[in-house]
Amino acid sequence: MTRLAPDRWAAIVLFAAAAVTPLVVRDTFVLDSVILILLWGALSAAWNVAGGYAGQVSLGHAAFFGIGAYAAALTSARYGQSPWIGLAVGVVLSIAAGAMIGYLSNRLRGPYFALSTIAFAEVLKIVASRWRGFTAGSEGVPVPFRPGFWTLGLGHVAWLYVILAVALLAYALQVYLERSRIGYQLAGVREDEDAAEALGIATRRRKVQAVVVSAALTSGCGSLWAQYVGFVDPSHVFSIDLSVRFALNSIIGGIGTALGPFLGSVLITSLETYLRATFSGVKAGFTGIYLIIYGVVLILIVRFAPEGLTGIAARVAVRR
Amino acid sequence: MWPRSAPGSRVLTLEAVTKRFGGLTAVRAVSLEVRAGDLLGIIGPNGAGKTTLFNVIAGYYRPEEGRVVFDGRDVTGLPPHAISRLGLTRTFQIVKPFGNLSVADNVMIGALTRLPRVREARVEADRVIALCGLAPHARARARALPIGLRKRLEVARALATRPRLLLLDEVMAGLNPAELAGIVDLVRRVHAEGVTLIVIEHIMAAMMRLAQRIVMLHHGEKLAEGTPQEIAHDRRVVDAYLGEEFNLAEA
Repeated sequence: MTRLAPDRWAAIVLFAAAAVTPLVVRDTFVLDSVILILLWGALSAAWNVAGGYAGQVSLGHAAFFGIGAYAAALTSARYGQSPWIGLAVGVVLSIAAGAMIGYLSNRLRGPYFALSTIAFAEVLKIVASRWRGFTAGSEGVPVPFRPGFWTLGLGHVAWLYVILAVALLAYALQVYLERSRIGYQLAGVREDEDAAEALGIATRRRKVQAVVVSAALTSGCGSLWAQYVGFVDPSHVFSIDLSVRFALNSIIGGIGTALGPFLGSVLITSLETYLRATFSGVKAGFTGIYLIIYGVVLILIVRFAPEGLTGIAARVAVRR
Repeated sequence: MWPRSAPGSRVLTLEAVTKRFGGLTAVRAVSLEVRAGDLLGIIGPNGAGKTTLFNVIAGYYRPEEGRVVFDGRDVTGLPPHAISRLGLTRTFQIVKPFGNLSVADNVMIGALTRLPRVREARVEADRVIALCGLAPHARARARALPIGLRKRLEVARALATRPRLLLLDEVMAGLNPAELAGIVDLVRRVHAEGVTLIVIEHIMAAMMRLAQRIVMLHHGEKLAEGTPQEIAHDRRVVDAYLGEEFNLAEA
């Protein structure tokens, strides 16, 4: 490896830009936007491990996100313990749930797998809504703010660096999947399971491993999100909107690429933030229009760049 | 280079293997013995159970009756990847390339089965790619290859797992004469490297020249077995498959 590929350079630029933002800007709106771009990027990268690299397209990753969010929120709100402990508990629970979902992927393929993951997230949503004694039901759980790193009561600047570290971890995990044995074997599983078996790859075990790692990372991000936002409620954290967002960032940015989820997140998150800020609020009358514009942009991308933004870049590079 | 079985030792034994799909018996009580260094051909009309037999041997189907013994070990019911790691692998009649990956990556994924380090697997893949005449296409996407080269890729990827027994399922079908000559040559070279082969093929001319022994399947049963000469003169084989106009001169 003497020369870095252009997409690696793009990632370096992106992460470096995020890292220097707090040195230049102190505006919380900007910092908040950068944090969310990185967080949704990391979550989409986590999804990409299963959906992109292993080809197990899930539309229920909100399940793991919600498990993580609730684990952290309840640990600090109900038991007064550090949300880091909650994060660890959430990761353990999500590994168990991920193993179950991963096992399902051996029975149900393609769209049937995606449907079963949706159902799984919906079941958790109902459980969280109804189990009032423990989760406070649909009222949700406000997360107490206790300043400090151990209690994850942080300012925007500190949050930015915590989330940046997670984003780098998620990116590094994907890069690992592009050059390691397990990564190549997952690519084989994704491309053709029968052929992968013929070459000695334990396809079932590999798929479960991919979904488990993906679930664990999603759950960890969910815990951090809960602490950052300060409020967890079932209809949001287990929603299909979230699951779709994880998938969409990757698909728009470039599925199965390390940079894709982050590029997708830059585009989708900033577009959404901008449209929401511009077309809602006092001037209203246009309250819902950002969703329409958002939808049109998605259609255009799927129509003209079916391989995502990294695909466009690759095509331009080839043409030269 | 390749792990070899002791010459003449039994590599594969099928003991009265039967595979049914509902009321249909696709393979009926087929017994077979393959010794190290053999190049066994399997022929038979469409629907005779040839590919089903491969699926049973390689672990894709579990037979209702009978046993599959590979190198003295009962592999009946083992998953395909476990059988492949023991040194028995197969190619697919309908080729299954990893379409979005390069030829080099396709072959390397095969090599990674024996060589866990990516760097070593890459070197091994390059060697196999050269052996299979795919070197000029190593960086091409597998799905962009014409069928002749995809058939070669299928063989290359299987070879990279360093099998002792390789099942080739119609690697010559649908090729033009030049491609055909190339792949016949490739099969010979693979055999010369010490890999025991079982080959399913419809192209009798090639089969007659390649195979040391031929088994004829018909309606899932073993109808005949013998040298190419014996098979070509076998009344039952001529009636069921070759037809009257077939003669050895043509082959």
